Amino acid sequence: MPSFVFAGVGGQGIITVAIILGRAAVIEGKPVLMTELHGMAQRGGKISVEVRIGDYKSAIIPSKTADAMVAFEELEAVRNISKLKEGGMILLNRRRIHPVSLTIKQQNYPDQIVESELKKYATITVEADRTALELGNKRVANTVMVGALFSTGLLGLDEESIIAAIKESLPERHWECNLEAFEEGKKLVLEQSAKAI
Amino acid sequence: MAYDSLLGRGGRTEFLLGNEAVGRGVYEAGVSVAATYPGTPSSEIGDVLYQVSDKMGIKFEFATNEKVALEIAAAAATGGLRSFVFMKHVGLNVAMDSFVSLAASGVKGGMVVLSADDPSMHSSQNEQDNRFLGKFAKTIVVEPSSPQELKDFVVSAFDLSEEIGHPVLVRSVTRISHVRTPVKFGEVRGKNEWNYKKDTSYVLMPENAYRAQAAVANRLDRARKSNRSKFFNRIYGDSSTLIVTSGAAYNYIDEALQMLNVKARVMKIGLSFPLDQDGILKEVELAERVVFVEEGGPFLEEQVLSICALRGINRKFYGKLNGYVPMSYEMDVDRVVVFLSEIYGIEHKQTYGGPVLPNREPVLCPGCPHRATYYVAKMAMKQKGLRNVISPTDIGCYTLGYYEPYQMGDFCFSMGSSVGSSSGFTMSAEEKVVSFIGDSTFFHGGIPALINAYHNNHNFVLVIMDNSITAMTGGQPTPETGPPFKKVDIESVVRGIGINNVFTIDPYDLKSSLETFKKALGTEELSVVISKRDCALEADRKKSPSEMKVFQINQDKCNQCYNCVRNFSCAAFYTEDGKVFIDSELCDGCSVCSEPLVCPFNAIEVKE
Repeated sequence: MPSFVFAGVGGQGIITVAIILGRAAVIEGKPVLMTELHGMAQRGGKISVEVRIGDYKSAIIPSKTADAMVAFEELEAVRNISKLKEGGMILLNRRRIHPVSLTIKQQNYPDQIVESELKKYATITVEADRTALELGNKRVANTVMVGALFSTGLLGLDEESIIAAIKESLPERHWECNLEAFEEGKKLVLEQSAKAI
Repeated sequence: MAYDSLLGRGGRTEFLLGNEAVGRGVYEAGVSVAATYPGTPSSEIGDVLYQVSDKMGIKFEFATNEKVALEIAAAAATGGLRSFVFMKHVGLNVAMDSFVSLAASGVKGGMVVLSADDPSMHSSQNEQDNRFLGKFAKTIVVEPSSPQELKDFVVSAFDLSEEIGHPVLVRSVTRISHVRTPVKFGEVRGKNEWNYKKDTSYVLMPENAYRAQAAVANRLDRARKSNRSKFFNRIYGDSSTLIVTSGAAYNYIDEALQMLNVKARVMKIGLSFPLDQDGILKEVELAERVVFVEEGGPFLEEQVLSICALRGINRKFYGKLNGYVPMSYEMDVDRVVVFLSEIYGIEHKQTYGGPVLPNREPVLCPGCPHRATYYVAKMAMKQKGLRNVISPTDIGCYTLGYYEPYQMGDFCFSMGSSVGSSSGFTMSAEEKVVSFIGDSTFFHGGIPALINAYHNNHNFVLVIMDNSITAMTGGQPTPETGPPFKKVDIESVVRGIGINNVFTIDPYDLKSSLETFKKALGTEELSVVISKRDCALEADRKKSPSEMKVFQINQDKCNQCYNCVRNFSCAAFYTEDGKVFIDSELCDGCSVCSEPLVCPFNAIEVKE
């Protein structure tokens, strides 16, 4: 019964990713819960989505019990880290979106806090934005992350159901590049694991 | 279309947001007429109905405000049609006058009012618990816990409403309306025929209203005794500890008990008013102690305690009223574990406290016309030597003008409150008053206050930030939306009141907007600036690929004056080691920052 936190900034396609996984679970007849918080801003605000696959009633994941976090932005990864269980995995898209409150004061991005916190967990870097750009469509970065998460084996879902869920969730003209992004995401994690061994 | 799957046959299962499940529920229930004013966390119900109500055979509309929406539904119910009105919790305050009358008059066709409450105020000005408003108005109150129940309870609420002839308030919360989960469809019912007969109970003048009070009491009593009421409540578990719970709070109980390795008998109340008094008392009598776990105020707790007092039943009670259960904010498993561990006398480890992080405040989108409006308004005030301007603001994306660097939000209570409060500030203060309101909010609650201001000779500047859409709730139409709707023109409305000092600007044109603002600020009577430019997200949807461009900072020209980041402060800017950059992923290409009024060194250029 795995639980996942998705963290990032409005506009990164995080809710779509969670919906794809939810639909894949439904295809397999598994119970699933998803909850999202996105505050007041349409774009640029902090976003967190929680997904629990299994027989739960609470959509909100209790502290320190999430199996993995899929982070689309570095600072937001750290903001949601208290949800992650000890030894939990972080899939980190190397993307920094500077909070306006820092920029107004001409302050740098808080790299040091981010690095020191992420070090405490098994963090796998996924260059989702870069991979998406290489595929020629920056909007598929979120699907790269789906592929990466699938590769970890934590989802407990079949590849076919995820592919079916991608098709169910996106218009047909976007299928090809998203399926490609999914494949690339899978590879990114497999390559890293291979290096680790 | 995205929501066509909601038209599927009974027995199907779809992965749905709670609010989407409501859309399916009203279809299943055979609703004929529905209306709303958009408000988070209820907005997606309207998005569903806006798209597929025709296919569902439902006449649906976005009304100018919640009171109008409620009256639309109430009229439909007088003739036997099933009708539905829904809103965010504070929207029910707007509809309250007619809501109370609705309960007094009763209904012929089933009528359901859905309120989506927002415990923890994720996107609201308060976390009021509208179950209290339902009881206050003397409607029936029903509380689901999950998206599936939200759909099923809406359908059953219509049946109960029609059986008793009384309106039902369904109370959802953010963590039901905004939870996605598989939802199983039921069968779609037929619709009622319009069968209108004149009836004095809808005319609440004193003599009829007097009679209505006795009828209300009678209907509530019948609701309490109805067999349908059994459908809403559940009880399970074997323990001398009884937990009385409801709504989203219920979802956290089982997991918390499991974590603490303790047992309880759980009584989940779905029909929260009028309560099944006998059924509940029977359980209380069997228990040694009773714990109340609910989100919002002590709604069930107060009712159960008063019944116990009347029947002389005493137990150990734990709830909000004696401080065991927190009075505010939404529940989750972690919070429930904390107070249950205290009640059960179990030691519980403190949870992890994370590092202190820079906050990420909500921001106006890159390209948002509101940013340009705030920027020139502030500049105009400075150039006119106006310090300490008082700036009431209102409910919408532009509320974000409250944050640095604009800091133009000194008063914000409710929809339309910018205009009424501006009159009050003008009467009381020596400072200049410049207030801000959006187009949809202006139509919703600003117009009566503006008439008041004009009629009473109040002198302030009202800025109507007109992006021609209800942006913050996801882009619903407004009275300015064109065919098939009749388009209402804001400037004509304002001039129609009699106001002469009306200035319409394009905020992207900083130079001329600045001059206009200075003129408006120099006017010695009420003036209105209409700052008109489409919402950037909407404009982006219409852009062709050739119109897509992004900007960058030419570091050779940049003088590091920081005006762009300090005062214009687009979310696409960032700094590193003192240098300013533009995040090209975020840049909207609006080009406003490249104007000399933002960058006097012409350092902001199109990125090739």
